[in-house]
Amino acid sequence: MDNGEIAVSKALALHLLCTLGLAAGFFAAGIAYNLSLVTDPAQTLSFLLVFETPIVVASYSFVRRDHDRPYWEAVSMALFGLPVGALLNALGAIVLGAPVGPKYWISTIYWSCLMSLFTFVPAVCVFGWSRMDWQRIIANSKPKQATDCLVSLPAQGAIVGAWLGAWPMPLDWEMPWQEWPICVTYGAIAGYIVGMILSTVFVHVMKNHPHVKDD
Amino acid sequence: MDRRVANSEWDRLRPRRAGEDHDTEKTKLLFLGDATGLSGSRSLLSCRIRRRCRRFVSFRSSAPPSRLPTFFPSGGTLAGLRSMVSGLTCGKLASWTIAAVLLQILGLSFFMIGFFPVKPTLPGFSGPESYRMPTCEPVLNAQDSELPPEKLRSFYKELSKVPPSYDRLVLMVIDGLPAEFVLGRDNKPPTKTMTEAMPYTQSLLSAGKARAYHAKAEPPTVTMPRLKAMVSGAVGGFLDVAFNFNTQALLDDNLLDQFKRIGWNLVMLGDETWIKLFPKLFIRQDGVSSFFVKDTIEVDFNISRHLDAELAAEDWNLLILHYLGLDHVGHIGGRHSILMAPKLKEMDDVIMMIHTHTILHQRNNAADTLLVVVSDHGMTSSGNHGGSSYEETDSLALFIGLSIENSDSAFNVPMSASQISFISCHATLSLLIQVDVAPTLALLFGVPIPNNNIGVILRGMLDSLTDEQRLRALQLNSWQMLRLLQEHSPGLLCGNLTGIGGDIGLLTNQDVDSTNEKLGYLFSKATSSHNMWLLRQTSDVTSNSNDDLELAVSSYYKFLGNASEWLSHRATDVIFISCRYVDKLNLMVLQKPINLLLSGIAIMLISCILQLNIVFKLFKEVFIIERKHFSLSKELNQVWHIDESFTLIGILIHVLSLGASSMVEEEQYTWHFLTSTLFLIFLLSVIRSSLKTPASYFMKSNKHENNHPLRKSLSNEESGPTTNDKSSRSKQLHENYQASLILLVLILGRVLRGWHQGGVNWAHLPDISKLLIQTGDFYIKAFQIITLLGLMVLGSFAFSLVRRRISLVYIVWISYFICGFLVLLHIIDSQSNIIGPTYSSVNSMAQIIYICVGSVILFTVFVSPWVLPVDHEVGSVITGLKSSSQSNDMQSSSFLLGVRDCTYLIGTTFTVFWCLLQLLLQQRINDIPVLIVYLQEMASIIYFSSYRTKHRQWVEVAAMYFLGMTGHFGLGNSNSLATIDVAGAFIVNFFTVQFIYERLGISNHSTVLSGILMFIITYAAPLLAFLSMLIYISVKDMNDLLPNHPGLDTLHLMIGFPCLLPLVLNSVVLVAFTIILLLMRNHLFVWSVFSPKYLYLCASTVCVYIGVLIIAFTVVYTRSVLAVRSGVKSSLYTNSLDTKSVSDD
Repeated sequence: MDNGEIAVSKALALHLLCTLGLAAGFFAAGIAYNLSLVTDPAQTLSFLLVFETPIVVASYSFVRRDHDRPYWEAVSMALFGLPVGALLNALGAIVLGAPVGPKYWISTIYWSCLMSLFTFVPAVCVFGWSRMDWQRIIANSKPKQATDCLVSLPAQGAIVGAWLGAWPMPLDWEMPWQEWPICVTYGAIAGYIVGMILSTVFVHVMKNHPHVKDD
Repeated sequence: MDRRVANSEWDRLRPRRAGEDHDTEKTKLLFLGDATGLSGSRSLLSCRIRRRCRRFVSFRSSAPPSRLPTFFPSGGTLAGLRSMVSGLTCGKLASWTIAAVLLQILGLSFFMIGFFPVKPTLPGFSGPESYRMPTCEPVLNAQDSELPPEKLRSFYKELSKVPPSYDRLVLMVIDGLPAEFVLGRDNKPPTKTMTEAMPYTQSLLSAGKARAYHAKAEPPTVTMPRLKAMVSGAVGGFLDVAFNFNTQALLDDNLLDQFKRIGWNLVMLGDETWIKLFPKLFIRQDGVSSFFVKDTIEVDFNISRHLDAELAAEDWNLLILHYLGLDHVGHIGGRHSILMAPKLKEMDDVIMMIHTHTILHQRNNAADTLLVVVSDHGMTSSGNHGGSSYEETDSLALFIGLSIENSDSAFNVPMSASQISFISCHATLSLLIQVDVAPTLALLFGVPIPNNNIGVILRGMLDSLTDEQRLRALQLNSWQMLRLLQEHSPGLLCGNLTGIGGDIGLLTNQDVDSTNEKLGYLFSKATSSHNMWLLRQTSDVTSNSNDDLELAVSSYYKFLGNASEWLSHRATDVIFISCRYVDKLNLMVLQKPINLLLSGIAIMLISCILQLNIVFKLFKEVFIIERKHFSLSKELNQVWHIDESFTLIGILIHVLSLGASSMVEEEQYTWHFLTSTLFLIFLLSVIRSSLKTPASYFMKSNKHENNHPLRKSLSNEESGPTTNDKSSRSKQLHENYQASLILLVLILGRVLRGWHQGGVNWAHLPDISKLLIQTGDFYIKAFQIITLLGLMVLGSFAFSLVRRRISLVYIVWISYFICGFLVLLHIIDSQSNIIGPTYSSVNSMAQIIYICVGSVILFTVFVSPWVLPVDHEVGSVITGLKSSSQSNDMQSSSFLLGVRDCTYLIGTTFTVFWCLLQLLLQQRINDIPVLIVYLQEMASIIYFSSYRTKHRQWVEVAAMYFLGMTGHFGLGNSNSLATIDVAGAFIVNFFTVQFIYERLGISNHSTVLSGILMFIITYAAPLLAFLSMLIYISVKDMNDLLPNHPGLDTLHLMIGFPCLLPLVLNSVVLVAFTIILLLMRNHLFVWSVFSPKYLYLCASTVCVYIGVLIIAFTVVYTRSVLAVRSGVKSSLYTNSLDTKSVSDD
């Protein structure tokens, strides 16, 4: 069993890939179809999904904890985990006040899939069904191993970012981006990127000071 | 049981860590002993416990006995001692808290007085003195007004030099008609439907026979204050408006009384608000109530049916018609309701009828009749009103029957520069402020202008007069305004009036900085140009006469405009958003008594810090006790948990969000978001703990794999080293149960959020309540009955948890059913209520319900502590809902349990009867939300009581408070005054204050009673949260905190947080918002957004006081009664027990 160590360069590459995936999604939507998140949230989100899903699944499956598991198993589990995580995220968002109604269904689904990619899918890829890993990742606020950082920090960043991103919504600025999934998505992406930077830093720190993980 | 013993033994045998002292270990033993319910067989253990506790007592009661406050009635040997000991800290705590609260009240009242000045009004009525130049000395010629009406009329005529243009006035008020329907908006004509709906009016307008204005109404745009404004020309102060929602007789000077004094006969048909305002003024009246909202036909027919007779009658001079139907149409179907066009047509027909009749009439008689059509306010697109949006304030003023035929004549006169800029600002002259109607009518009908008037006569209305009369009319208006100005700033003109002559040049270049000087200068300029014009007239110099006239007119208007604006700021501080007068003075900055405001804030700040300090001390004490009990558990020793830090962050974010006007308007989102997030965090903690146990089990079996210290959480005692599968499965089940409770709270919260859209900006969006109203009465009623049944079942369940069924419990239970049945009958009856006015039976039924609810609650509170059995045998009277109240052989434990049982009974009674009362009082659509709030509170209480160590008590109290606040907004309240259920405004409700009046059979409107009912309706949810806090106190498993010993000071641990935390939370918000309000005093929305929020905040402060008082009183009363009783009954027993235990040692 792997003890959760990972090279800093590997972590950096992984995060860069994920960021690039998002950027490519935005780029493709903007250039090819002239879409932007503000004007066409649903379509743009679908573009992001198309680009981000393979990257996240492939790269996180590559750093799976239990290397005894075959690669395809991690990938298939990730694809299974995507809708599950999306459901959880959607429920959370609706409970927190996301609008329900035919007008918003599509964007809610896309948004929650994206959130699932940020939060749930990496965890499924890396940990599979290992109960111990799951309890560690959920129960501990502080990551103890490098792979934990890789999974949990971007996820926490995305959730906190999305939460903060919801705050401008009730303001009466009458900006188009105050609509439901738009500013939350921006917040989530911003938080995700911050989380990834932090996670790279943490992996680096853990590499250099291995005693940190014992705390 | 054996396992538990083993557990505790194991704990004891563990090698002691260096940092742990002896006491800690022992106290932990004490905790285990209590919590697991060891029986007498473990006498050794209990002896140790007792000894430990006595040491605790001696440690705590180290203060000199002379300083012991007599907080409790000393009721016997042990009980007396006990209460004194517990009174020590409690007394201190209570006195500090009371001091802090008193300071807060003091600071708040300072701030309120400073920030919301009560406007000085002139008492009495304008008389002949209003035709004379105001002087510095008060004028007292009351004898003139004692003249008989006919003489007074001619006297006025002679004095005023402006002959009345009309003899008769028909004042037609169309409730809620937006001017946009008649005049269009932004210089665009009204929509085609609207034009077609009012063909006659439109034809009058296009033919120039009528003149129409957009009359801007001041918020709050509800009927009564607007009627007052129109007839008196005065705008009430902000607090006047807030406190005078109830219709009371108008005592200030007003047009109607002036008419009466010159001997007019007044007839009123329509809204009975007029009758309440002027109880004995009309010779004939037919009031209709705005009670039956759904009725849009009958209310107006009731007026129109008299119309033929009244128009034929010769005896009246003033006919008031107040049509309510249009407002009702708006309330039912919104601004664009399909009923709107037919209703407008009906109004148009009435206008046509009156107008044609008056034209015919004029031929026979010389008397001229003026028809004035006004609306009191507009409506939002959903048909509501009360706020300050353009749609609500845009009301109509339409003058029909003017002598002038050409409406353009006003534009023909040469205009001064200021006039041109004025016109270019508006591109039309047709904008006025609602109060302008009053002086205009006064001058047109030859009565003195009401002395508190701040309106300015309308330019277009004076065109029929000669130039001299025009100037005279302006002069009269200026004099009246000058008197009012003198009232506001005494000595305004005494200094510089003397210098008024023809010399303008002396004053023109003077650097004017103060308001008084500026106004004085403007007035003297106007007077001197008036004099100049008069001089030119007499000297017969024709050149420049027109210029002089214009100069005089424009300088009068300049003075009047500035004075009016300044006065309206002074009076209401309502900032007119319209650019009424281009040339604005630097009057906008209000002169607030800054010292008063700052001292108020400082006092509130001190009080807030004091409260925070008290809570912090309490927190530290609880923390120390907890630490002693859970010294072994690592994660419980963490200073901050995620839920705690989030609660703090949430409070901070909420406070910060109040700085943004739209966040204040949409506060419901903030509360829902924060509360839901908090409960999601609770959910996370449940999931964490459910994942943790099996894993820690796993880790223990694989000790080689990790080197963590053993994670042995005491919250789940089963998970010691002897964990087996069965217990872990039951624990799993338990956690699922907890998770489902939290999910229930979350889902219900989301439904509640969707029930009322709330707020201001998105209030029109569809929500569940609108959907229900659309689907019809049947579904609403079905939901009401479902709610009632649900409440009955839940209430019975709550009562059934009272294990020992003494007769008192049955009495309460049965009366609960009776009340429920009465409410059911009431709900069924309320249908017929809407149509027919036969509600005397319902009336008496509602009275019965009030009496029933009140008496049962009082009975329970005062009697139950005396009746509930206090004995020393095993078992409590009432279970805590979960895992609390394990029996103990200690007498003191039975005392504590007795208190908790009693509190449970009282709390349950309070909450269920409160909900029943709400079903009666709230709008019908709000019944389900009431049930939802109740369910949420109960679910969270069950969760908290079953899950005792994961969250600190203050987080739980804060969560319940949050739920209460979320519920407050979930019931459709907002921070706008429009959503208060006031005085029939708002008709959307059936159970408004007016309704209560009818029900209670109170004929004259008692402000106090209606205020209380309004408060009960508005603060239903927060008060429910406070009442539920009693249940929370009673079922919260505080064995860990309260070691069940009489000696230990338990009262403040029991009610400390439930009482103090809401006070602190409210205090923080209050102080922060006070500072925000002061900073925002020049903000555009200060009077429409921030000030109403401040009033709400004051009301919620009162709500917190009441809630805390109820909690504190109930618990303290119960405790002291039980202390007295158990002291009397069992002092012997206890003494013997104590001796025994000592000998055991």
